[in-house]
Amino acid sequence: MQARISISRTLAFAACCAALLPGWHGANAKEKSQPAPDWVVEAAKTPTPANVGDASAVTLLDEILISVDEQNRAVERERSAVRILKPQGREHAECGAEYDVDEKLDSFHSWTIAADGRQLQAMDTDFADVGAYGDADMQFTERVRFVRPPGADPGAVVACEITHDLRPYMSMEVWGIQDTIPVVNESLELALPAGGHYADSWSHTNPIEPTETADNHLRWEIKNVPALDLESLHATPPWQALAAHMTVMWGSDAVNGVDNQWRALGQWEEQLEAHRPDPTPEITAKAQELTAGAPDLYTKLSRITSYIQNNIRYFIIEKGIGGLQAHYAADIYRNRYGDCKDKTTLLISMLQAVGIKAYYLHVNSERGVIDPSAPSLIGDHMITAIEVPDGENDPRLQALVRIPHDKTLLIFDPTDETTPVGLIRGELQGAYGNLADGAESRVLEMPVLSPQSASLSRKGTFVLAADGTLAGDVTDVFTGVDAAGERGLLKEADAKEVRENLEKGLSSDLPSLDFKGYEFHETTALDQPVTLDLHVSDPSYAHAAGPLLLLRPRVVGSDAFAVPEVMEDKTREYPIEIGHPGNFPGDWRDSFDITLPPGYVVDETPDPVDVDMDFASYHSSTTAKGNLLHYEREYVVRQVEIPPEKAAEFRKLESAILFDEKGSAVLKKQ
Amino acid sequence: MRNPLLMCGTVGLFAAMWPALLSAQFQPPNPDELTMTIDPEAKGAAAVFLEIRESDNDVLHERRYYARIKVLTDRGKELATIRLPYVKGGTDFKIVDVQGRTIHSDGTVVSLAVKPEDLLVAKNGEEQIQQKVFTLPDVDVGSVLEYSYELTYDPQHVSSPIWEVQQHHFVHKAHYDFTPFRGFLPGARDALNAHLVDSSGNVLDHLVWNWRLPSGVTVSEDPALGRFSLDVSDVPPVPKEAWMPPDSSTVYKVEFYYTNGSSAEDFWAQAAKTWSRDIDRFAEPTKTIEEAVAGLISASDSEAVKAQKLYAAVQSLDNSDYSRRKSESERKELKLTPVKRAEDTWKEKSGNSNEIALLYLSMLRAAGLTAYATSVVDRSRGVFDPSYMNLDQLDDTLVILNTDGKDVLLDPGQKLCPFQTVNWRHSGAEGLRQSANGPGRAQTPYQVFEANTVKRTGDIEVGPDGTISGTLQIVMTGQDALAWRQRAIEVDDDELKKEFDRDLESITPETAAAHVDHFLGLDEPDKLLMAVVKVSGSLGTLTAKRMVMPGFFFETRETEPFVKEKDRLEPVDMHYASQVSDQLTYHLPDGSTIEGAPPDTKVAWENHALYIVKSKADPGQITIARVLARAFTLAKPEEYQDLRGFYQKVSDADQGQLVVDAGASPKGN
Repeated sequence: MQARISISRTLAFAACCAALLPGWHGANAKEKSQPAPDWVVEAAKTPTPANVGDASAVTLLDEILISVDEQNRAVERERSAVRILKPQGREHAECGAEYDVDEKLDSFHSWTIAADGRQLQAMDTDFADVGAYGDADMQFTERVRFVRPPGADPGAVVACEITHDLRPYMSMEVWGIQDTIPVVNESLELALPAGGHYADSWSHTNPIEPTETADNHLRWEIKNVPALDLESLHATPPWQALAAHMTVMWGSDAVNGVDNQWRALGQWEEQLEAHRPDPTPEITAKAQELTAGAPDLYTKLSRITSYIQNNIRYFIIEKGIGGLQAHYAADIYRNRYGDCKDKTTLLISMLQAVGIKAYYLHVNSERGVIDPSAPSLIGDHMITAIEVPDGENDPRLQALVRIPHDKTLLIFDPTDETTPVGLIRGELQGAYGNLADGAESRVLEMPVLSPQSASLSRKGTFVLAADGTLAGDVTDVFTGVDAAGERGLLKEADAKEVRENLEKGLSSDLPSLDFKGYEFHETTALDQPVTLDLHVSDPSYAHAAGPLLLLRPRVVGSDAFAVPEVMEDKTREYPIEIGHPGNFPGDWRDSFDITLPPGYVVDETPDPVDVDMDFASYHSSTTAKGNLLHYEREYVVRQVEIPPEKAAEFRKLESAILFDEKGSAVLKKQ
Repeated sequence: MRNPLLMCGTVGLFAAMWPALLSAQFQPPNPDELTMTIDPEAKGAAAVFLEIRESDNDVLHERRYYARIKVLTDRGKELATIRLPYVKGGTDFKIVDVQGRTIHSDGTVVSLAVKPEDLLVAKNGEEQIQQKVFTLPDVDVGSVLEYSYELTYDPQHVSSPIWEVQQHHFVHKAHYDFTPFRGFLPGARDALNAHLVDSSGNVLDHLVWNWRLPSGVTVSEDPALGRFSLDVSDVPPVPKEAWMPPDSSTVYKVEFYYTNGSSAEDFWAQAAKTWSRDIDRFAEPTKTIEEAVAGLISASDSEAVKAQKLYAAVQSLDNSDYSRRKSESERKELKLTPVKRAEDTWKEKSGNSNEIALLYLSMLRAAGLTAYATSVVDRSRGVFDPSYMNLDQLDDTLVILNTDGKDVLLDPGQKLCPFQTVNWRHSGAEGLRQSANGPGRAQTPYQVFEANTVKRTGDIEVGPDGTISGTLQIVMTGQDALAWRQRAIEVDDDELKKEFDRDLESITPETAAAHVDHFLGLDEPDKLLMAVVKVSGSLGTLTAKRMVMPGFFFETRETEPFVKEKDRLEPVDMHYASQVSDQLTYHLPDGSTIEGAPPDTKVAWENHALYIVKSKADPGQITIARVLARAFTLAKPEEYQDLRGFYQKVSDADQGQLVVDAGASPKGN
């Protein structure tokens, strides 16, 4: 099966790497330029539609032909032609092709028909190859070839033709129908061997029927697809979760019906990983050692998952099929490193060693990308579904999925090194995944956890001096998913960066911050709270305005998540991802006490705020008693995403939070 | 990193003088290192280098490298993945004999058992960069990591080293040594039939090195062996501070290279002559140039007018640094010949920034004006290093017009750069220049703050519920105007507005919206650039009796630098001097009165910077003016506390608020 959304046309990272090459502009072209083929000339005649809006480029043609032979080996040819409309549209004309040890690139050509009709062909020196990924924790054999087309100026049409073998162990393609620029004509053709069959599914667009242009040669054709441009929008689901695409399968996996297709995919994945998790004696011994004396299932799970989270370093080594297939558990255990598939494999292995059944769950790292109505291998991440016995009702096991008439599964991500077993981080909540469980394989929705799954309780005590200086201490107590977030920050940053991050956060509320110090209190047990003590001072916190002294009762911390276009009351087309402090439900409380300077009285305080929506609520109040000013608030988020129809409610909520956070108490001298 | 060169002559046998350290790899683990949990020398560090040993040998054509690392936190585990880039091709670099191991804090040793992967980094034509990649196994917090490798190269090449002494992690101890090409060893110089040549065929008969090292640390030369060595200890990590000069000018390193210059002074004297000769050859006012100039100016024009007309002419050409550089294949397809002379650029009506600058020089000379070239290091990239004897460090060429006995610096290679304005990257920049007395080293002047201004003015209507509406004018001169104009070449008007809006979003209150309506003077560099901005949304927060608003519309996001950083290791480089001034008038709701406003304030950092706030209240309105003038470009670390003190006071004053007695007591938000 093949999991890919078209050939990427924009490869900024590749261009960046190629800058390392001193000879990029210097080498001589040896080949002779060939005239553009007819399909390029014809495509270039396509007029630019009137409705492209402010698009910087338009795809005139995108044509994919997949030819499958009797042995189920497939070759894909993609032809594309893009007209550059604006200077910044050049980036859309840079074609690129990924290839690997078992995904051979057969040919790659590019032509340009300039605005004045000149024809140019890209020569050897216009192409470059780069390693696909260079991050510190990645080791890939995959490469990308890309072209800097000659004559790529506004008005020009740049065409590319790329032919490559699809990976021999895959029989699926994801056709990216929608792009960030408009598309005038696009098609997918599937040429199957005699007797071959296919299955298709559609996401974010209405399905269309193919025409059979020859025996077993199918063609889907779509015209005038609008751009999906989210660049100027905030808090939307990820682009891939909104873009129209189609998945086509062929060969034995091409079965009818959505449920059957998910089942086939799950079975394929299970077969791919067969015997990879088989526990060795060393693994069994370690699992048994870890769980010895565990009083309950939670403890048993917690000890094993913590072991993997703490001891198996995240590191990706991918060579060909290694992009999909895990290493053997024995190798992972010995090397103490691995990627998400590897960590899941070792977890399944260790759980198996102590009699707990667990499964591969193929997900995407961003919510919404996997569409339950469009079976595919589009996900980019592997996690674990752990079978929980009937009747298990430990409240710490919150990330549960109950499959009717079947089993209950606990969702857990062993790659996430700070979220304890029982919880899942925000990006996975409400998302879908493909369970690999033989004939019971299926797509399942991961739960949105309750607000009690994450919390921050912040308490501050301060003293205000008559000159405006505010000094005091703050204690933050993080629990659940919030605590995981804090642990993640501590793991990823050194002491200097931790301090700088804290200073940066505090100084947005305390501009003249004098940061006296901080202490984190955390235990190695991931299910325990993280406490942070902060000691701060700001010599100009309160400001004189004439005879008044102005003071903001909400001293530190922000719950605001202003989405500019929503705040401006612009029409919202896409769902809003609720964003504070992460994209997950939670309960956040602040309580501040400020002792006022002698001789001052409170003349006015900000009004209380009470906003209740079905997806969130916000309550705050400021009170004065004697020389003490007290502020408290509670913000509860119950959902991770709200539909666009609720934009007005979201605006009301955020406006209330913004103005509450900026509200001033007015002090007067007695 | 390496400096590969070709070696010519007979390859003879030579006795290797191999340092003893290389036979002593992977010594028994040190118990103190194993049990260490916090490094007192590098508190809070994710990892530290316990030891680095690098031995480079241009006799044996190899480099041997050894490192020992202590992992102190989870993040430090990333040092377990080692990437060794090398150039594949002519010099035939090979990385061999890779060894590695992980030692747990209990002394358990886990050896590297897998072969490193050989992965592509980038490839274009014959040029290819590969990397050997491996990951040490079973790494824990507390582990000690050790690895070593050997890099070999073609016997027909030499490859003088660059010792990157400062790393991104603290280094406890490091030793480097270098045995140069045998022709540079004692007694061998005249005995061998071998010499070095560079790619131009020049014989390289000197070995030199330039360095930036901690105080008191020097490279040692063993006169008997001809070997160079360096021992350093307790090297702090590469500093990361805001507004630093370019990394290349601050990081500790030693770079060896073979050259034909005997001393920096001699080298630059000779190099300046060569450079100037090449400039003059390219910029020769040929007949084509003379004819073009004759069509652009008239004999009665003053020198200044002639210079301006010619400047406008070269500015109107396609500058490929802002549009798109044609590839070699495209040039061939278009039958364009290589650009060797200024007239080629003129005929093509296109060139890169340096070609256009030299075309301008040629035209000035054709017009009978006195003009010179200057080539400088781009100050955003680096700082001119006279001890580094290499002309390649010069980036960009500008033109100096001498008129009425005065030099006028011009930057014709900068698209849309006004006459007599230069990009800040070329101000205060060092390099070479021509003059009536011949070529030599020189530095361009820094910019004055009056040259780079941003003025934000306008009227904001405030409603009784705190909502606002209004139109602001943002007028830019100098660098801000240049940057936006140059961006307008790369993107269309819609995209430019979006980008300007994003900039506004970062400086305006969260409750307000600011969108540019249109620009004026965007493609007229000699005029002021103005952005007309519409503002809306809310600004004031309401209580029962009052409305409280930020006193400074553009200063609610706390953008002043240096307020938080108490200490400073490196100099401050603000790029250019500038002045930002605001004058906004708030029109208040009927019946309201002003109860408090930001006080008039003056903060000065003598001879460096000045901040002034003044407000003026009239019935129903208040005008608040704010000026921040920064006359300095660079500041030394020892000046930092004065600098920080100034910005702290500015930041404090910027928090001033406007309190309006709402009179009729509107409620809302």
